[in-house]
Amino acid sequence: MKLLIVEDNADLLDNILTYLKREGYLCETAQNYDEAFDKIMSYTYDVVLIDIMIPGGNGLQVLRELKSVNPETGTIIISAKNSLDDKVQGLELGADDYLTKPFQLAELQARIKAVNRRNNLGGTEIVRVNEISINTKTMEVTADDTPVDLTPKEYELLVYFASNKNHVLSKQTIAEHLWGDYVDHLDNLDFVYQHIKNLRKKLVNAGAQNYIESVYSIGYKLNTTPKTA
Amino acid sequence: MKLITKFLLIYLLVSLIVLSIAGVLSYYIIKGEIDKELQWEFLDRIDRVTYLMEEGKTFDANEVNSDENLIIKPLNEYRKNDIRIADTLIWDHRLEQEERNVKVSAYRNIGDTTYYISTYGNMIESDDITEAVVTILLWILGMQVIGALGIGYFVSGPLFKPFRNTLKRIQNFKLNEKEYLKAEPTNVSEFNDLNIFVEEMTKKAVSDYKNLKEFAENASHELQTPLAIAKGKLELLAETDLSAEQFKYVENLERTVKKLSRLSESLALLTKIENHEFENSQEVNLSGMIKESIDSFREFTDLHELHIDTDIADGVVINIHPVLADILWTNLYQNAIRHNIENGSIRIVLTDDTLSISNTGKDLDFDPELLFERFKKGDQNSNSIGLGLSIINRICDQAGFSISYTTEKGWHSIQITLKSVKTG
Repeated sequence: MKLLIVEDNADLLDNILTYLKREGYLCETAQNYDEAFDKIMSYTYDVVLIDIMIPGGNGLQVLRELKSVNPETGTIIISAKNSLDDKVQGLELGADDYLTKPFQLAELQARIKAVNRRNNLGGTEIVRVNEISINTKTMEVTADDTPVDLTPKEYELLVYFASNKNHVLSKQTIAEHLWGDYVDHLDNLDFVYQHIKNLRKKLVNAGAQNYIESVYSIGYKLNTTPKTA
Repeated sequence: MKLITKFLLIYLLVSLIVLSIAGVLSYYIIKGEIDKELQWEFLDRIDRVTYLMEEGKTFDANEVNSDENLIIKPLNEYRKNDIRIADTLIWDHRLEQEERNVKVSAYRNIGDTTYYISTYGNMIESDDITEAVVTILLWILGMQVIGALGIGYFVSGPLFKPFRNTLKRIQNFKLNEKEYLKAEPTNVSEFNDLNIFVEEMTKKAVSDYKNLKEFAENASHELQTPLAIAKGKLELLAETDLSAEQFKYVENLERTVKKLSRLSESLALLTKIENHEFENSQEVNLSGMIKESIDSFREFTDLHELHIDTDIADGVVINIHPVLADILWTNLYQNAIRHNIENGSIRIVLTDDTLSISNTGKDLDFDPELLFERFKKGDQNSNSIGLGLSIINRICDQAGFSISYTTEKGWHSIQITLKSVKTG
């Protein structure tokens, strides 16, 4: 997958690049409006990440230009403003998703994959984790052709893990992804464990290996090469 | 009371006092002048009678009796010539009352007989003087009232028009419209000074407000990028080979960063509400919103085994910005869940004009209303940022709802008096 990241902050750019490069993505960067304009006009990308506040112009303008030359490119807006107006405007201009700073890198990666599936793969991509396959269109999950019956939350959890294979996801990250602002005021994140326990049980019962590892019981990781006991 | 009314009342009161004093003075001055004139006339009369008697004229009884006001009596004893002036009360047949008359009496020696000659009368009855004085004063008072009304009309009308205009513009002045009040020229220098002052003051207020707003919003936004960097670095750190202890620190830091970001978002929200940036209210169906939200939070309420008891009237509609309505209710409900106890309860009652939400929880050792202040928390060590109730309070202020917080026997209750919109 070929990505363009329009972001002026070098540290943030470095974080994103480090995280995404492990997936083997081809990442290009632009740190100001002119550079971004130049790149979207010269090359095509699968997904473009655009920060709204960039030197030399507005990210929304980059989005507008991009949509006029390559409307099928997947786009994700990144903004420091949690403002409804910006969000609505961005989505109206054809952005596929909107992410507010500070975001989780795991969350960004999951969104990139989702946007890519929708825009470039016709929404039919089957996500595979060894013997487990997830049909992201019909939301059906099978383990070696045995169907696994999951609740919507468990399904989302599995897709999230599959989007961030071999990455450590903390309970906080998972809770934010699945419940968003609802968990803002909750100290106790035990409900995350409940869902993981159920998901794990259902997958193992369907004949899959136990891929979801607990990391010091604070975070979790989908390990594609588990140490079989 | 209007300034002009007050001014006129004082003016009329002072006029009344002055006129009363003037009336009394007028009465005595007029009365005095008339009495003095009468005395001269009576003395002259006595002198004439004396002269006639010295010339040999005799006044017989009939002649004297026909003039009621003249008394001439020969005395048996000698008295030296003398004049006495006195007031006397005389019965007036026509008025049928006693009248105060001037009486001049004299002893005169004519030949070798001493005569007592006395004459009395009045030119104008004292009632008439009083009547005349009162009539004059009433006329003056009447004209003053008419004058006062005229002045009042003029002052409250054309003269004070620039002042009233300025006042109206100040009343309609809204900071968030970013328009200062430009001074309108008038030919009254005091009003001009006032208008110029108002212009400068509003200009300053508008620019201060703009700066403050920009600062609050920028500060909040500028914080988000470094927080995003810190968050990302922590995620990358978590991927490295960490010991359990190190990983725990990382996880702790992640929570702290999250809290920081929530804090700055909440402060920005509070600033936005206080700056009246959510002015466009719409009709929001509170009943539906509450029911939906109870379902969305079901998982969390079940986790803590909370018992939810509801009595929600259908179709309660309020006029509020939809974003504020959502924040208001979500904050209230999250508070009730968060500060609850295991196996606790939440009671929600919604009627046309009140929303009350109560939850079981720990007792407070201070006045619960203090929780509406920023950063005031029941438990200072809790993970809460202490802005939730401030936000709720501000939203209620803005929507014109009143809110109260009470605690009793382990129950915390928040009651909001709504202004619901009747839908037909």
